[in-house]
Amino acid sequence: MMIDSDGAISPANTIFVLLSFEGPDVYSTAGGLGTRVTELSEALAAQGYTTHLIFIGDPHKPSLETRLDGRLMLKRWSQWISKYYLNGVYDGEEQKLYDYNESVPYHVYNEIVRPAAAEGKLVVVMGEDWQTAEAMTRVSDLLHWFGLRQKALLLWNLNSLMSLHRINWGKLSYVTTICTVSKYMKHRMWNYGVNPLVIPNGIPSRHLNPIDQDAVKRLREISKQGDPRRMFLFKIGRFDPDKRWLMAIEAVARLKYSGYPVTLFVRGGIEPHGADVLKRAYDLGLNIRDVVAHRPNLEQCLEAIANSGPADLYNLRFFLPEEFVRLTYAAADATLANSGHEPFGLVALEVMAAQGIAVTGSTGEDYAVSFENAIVTETDDPDEIVGYLLYLRRHPEELERIRCAGRNTAEEFLWDQVIKNLVGKLEFLARKQNIVLA
Amino acid sequence: MVANLAIYTIVHQPRRLKLPAQPIPRGASIEDITRCIFDEPLNERYFHAIAATCYYPATRLFLELVREQGLHLSIGLSLSFARQAQAWDPELLDLFRALVAEENVELIGVEPYHNFLFLLDLPAFVLRMQWMGDEMERIFGKRPAVTDTTEMAMSATIYNALDTAGFRGVLIDGRRWVLEWREPTYLYRYSDEDPLPVPLPIKRSQYAPRSRRSPQKLLADNDRESGPYLLARHTQLSDDVGFRFSDANWSQYPLYADTYARWIAGTPGDVVLLGWDYETFGEHHHRDTGIFDFIHALPAELERQGVTTRTASDVIDRFSVPGCAHHLPLPIFPTTWAGAGGLDFFTGNSAQQTILQLMGYVYGQARLTENPGLVDLALWLAQSDNLHLIQWFGRSGPDAAVSSHFTPREWWELGADRIIHEQQQVYANALQAMEPYLPARLVRRSRRRAPPKPNRRYRREAQSAAGTQFSASVPGR
Repeated sequence: MMIDSDGAISPANTIFVLLSFEGPDVYSTAGGLGTRVTELSEALAAQGYTTHLIFIGDPHKPSLETRLDGRLMLKRWSQWISKYYLNGVYDGEEQKLYDYNESVPYHVYNEIVRPAAAEGKLVVVMGEDWQTAEAMTRVSDLLHWFGLRQKALLLWNLNSLMSLHRINWGKLSYVTTICTVSKYMKHRMWNYGVNPLVIPNGIPSRHLNPIDQDAVKRLREISKQGDPRRMFLFKIGRFDPDKRWLMAIEAVARLKYSGYPVTLFVRGGIEPHGADVLKRAYDLGLNIRDVVAHRPNLEQCLEAIANSGPADLYNLRFFLPEEFVRLTYAAADATLANSGHEPFGLVALEVMAAQGIAVTGSTGEDYAVSFENAIVTETDDPDEIVGYLLYLRRHPEELERIRCAGRNTAEEFLWDQVIKNLVGKLEFLARKQNIVLA
Repeated sequence: MVANLAIYTIVHQPRRLKLPAQPIPRGASIEDITRCIFDEPLNERYFHAIAATCYYPATRLFLELVREQGLHLSIGLSLSFARQAQAWDPELLDLFRALVAEENVELIGVEPYHNFLFLLDLPAFVLRMQWMGDEMERIFGKRPAVTDTTEMAMSATIYNALDTAGFRGVLIDGRRWVLEWREPTYLYRYSDEDPLPVPLPIKRSQYAPRSRRSPQKLLADNDRESGPYLLARHTQLSDDVGFRFSDANWSQYPLYADTYARWIAGTPGDVVLLGWDYETFGEHHHRDTGIFDFIHALPAELERQGVTTRTASDVIDRFSVPGCAHHLPLPIFPTTWAGAGGLDFFTGNSAQQTILQLMGYVYGQARLTENPGLVDLALWLAQSDNLHLIQWFGRSGPDAAVSSHFTPREWWELGADRIIHEQQQVYANALQAMEPYLPARLVRRSRRRAPPKPNRRYRREAQSAAGTQFSASVPGR
């Protein structure tokens, strides 16, 4: 039954609750999800929404921390379990999952929804990924039991295709609105009998801050290694076969042996596939240098690389400060984000924000239009990368156009813009649920 | 005909497990292990619910009958119940204390956690029952001289253990196949102190109170000239109220106090012992069945019939004179007051047998750790309730109805098969959780010199380096 709903979703009448295993603590960060919920929760709070983020936090930090004048509440959960599992958020995952499912729903009902409902406010509960699926269904059941289900909108968002066999899709799709981060993921999820709404990821506005052009010049010089013909490429991400590292390495080798030397900066993770990647590089005759440093600042990063000696591939084995990463995006001739499976592709968007050239795959990168704002590879053929890079080399005017268009695109994916998308969908859902907003 | 009546009732609440089984963190403290195993919020909910329907009204009623009508009562309280009352309703515990404090009320011993320790470790059971006496004295101000066991289990070895523990009397369910031609309305003994043709040397028991006196002098001071007296519960008369009181299909329904008193008075023998679960009053038979009115009227009706109520010790005092207590051969396999009267009510199906095995493994492993906290945990896990409430497995209809009633409602969402699986998983988790506490592992773990812990990011890079064999450039390439 469709009825008119007065009012709109605003900080005055709506509270957000984000449920996620990952979060802002170093302990809680394992991949893109930690970044997403951290930035989303901060963006919501910055817009004035009271926001609760319930995540598996560092066991040695306070269980409750408030930020942004109390609008953002970080609730570190399951710390009594995490103290036995010090290797990060997914260490002791099953133990944490049980505790999260058992205790979060009642907390959401009793400490958040019940008082919010008494104040006439709507509560939007958003769960992230498979670990929160059961908790979301229990939140729904509990709110229903206490007659408060009509006071809340429940959304559940999928960021990756891991462990979907553990989800009761029938129950989840009945009690929540299922969302995901790209049309690609939406179409993949049709295989599970659900049709999610798409709410993309975003980037924080600091990614649009201007980059020091002198530093860009300096880094380009370092990467040239005295050879103006050298191409400077960058690839950053987990050493995961989905990221198509081998395709990138092959492309670099083919460029080199075609007479187009390349300097490739590599920043991977601790995954075993890294050994395959570097072995392939070695077997292809690429010169590899490990670059190590201890928590360097930007200047120290540049020094470390400059002092490493000549190489085709620099394996950056240290934590890259964000400033350096953005600098590299801007300075590189291209950043290879050529994944074969990418739910969203945050790296490419960040590259675009830095006015870099992103070479993407063609899965979840909805924002990428080939030769408009990025270069989109559609195969796993390394020659596709080679061909497109040589095209750009021959058409420098295209480089500048793509850089500018990429930045314009990135502006459309700031979190504030994404939240508009989100709020639009929430108002639609509220209307469907006959929720009257004050 | 019987002119003496002993009324015994037992108060117990189980410590229910948390299902589905919660995975226990590796190296968890005992407190955290306990938190993962037991569902205390569930236990508290059930406790308060039963307190409202049974504990409060029944205890107030008994207190009134004891004080105003001179009713004599024997009552046993498990430590499992007492701990819950202490934690969640101290006022209720005080009410029970007031009842036990009455001169006409005797405190009967109960295996403190209501577990089956006597099946797992008989010597430990002896020590446990002695410890129970200390605890009961501390909490209720009286030390039990007569004791019940879990589910009124009794066998030759259990009797001997309780004799070793120093009890004056023990309770047994008066099943026909145990009593054979005998009636439950007499006092019995099992022990045999008749002189032997070839005397055996007197040996001082490690379970006896410490004393420098010689064994002969100890014997002289011991006022127990025989092993414990056996008081047999009258099964039929007890179950007439305990089971059948509110059964509209029973031929004697509705049962009135005067009828019941007549039945008691018309029973041949010296004494009738009635034994009831305390939840009979208000929980198994709700208030609106008239159970409270029945009990309220009973003392007066008994008096009209010339039947005097006695405590269990009163019965022993009265009928332990020579010639009055008779020998009763006890079975090797325990009898209980549950089901058909044997332990098969608790061990008759494959799920129960598995749990009983697991109880043994957990207890054995806990003993290996030599950690009192873990041994205590194992004793909790050996509660008979964990077998009782899966008695329905493999059965249906009335056979399954009684035990399925005791299975927490919340568990049924899991489905029957998953209840069984998850219950077993609890024990498996407990076994695993105890392993870090094994002394051999503690020693070996302490000997391993842990390298100084680098910054976590450095640890990641160290791991990454282990996998990177091709980082150096090769000359000539």
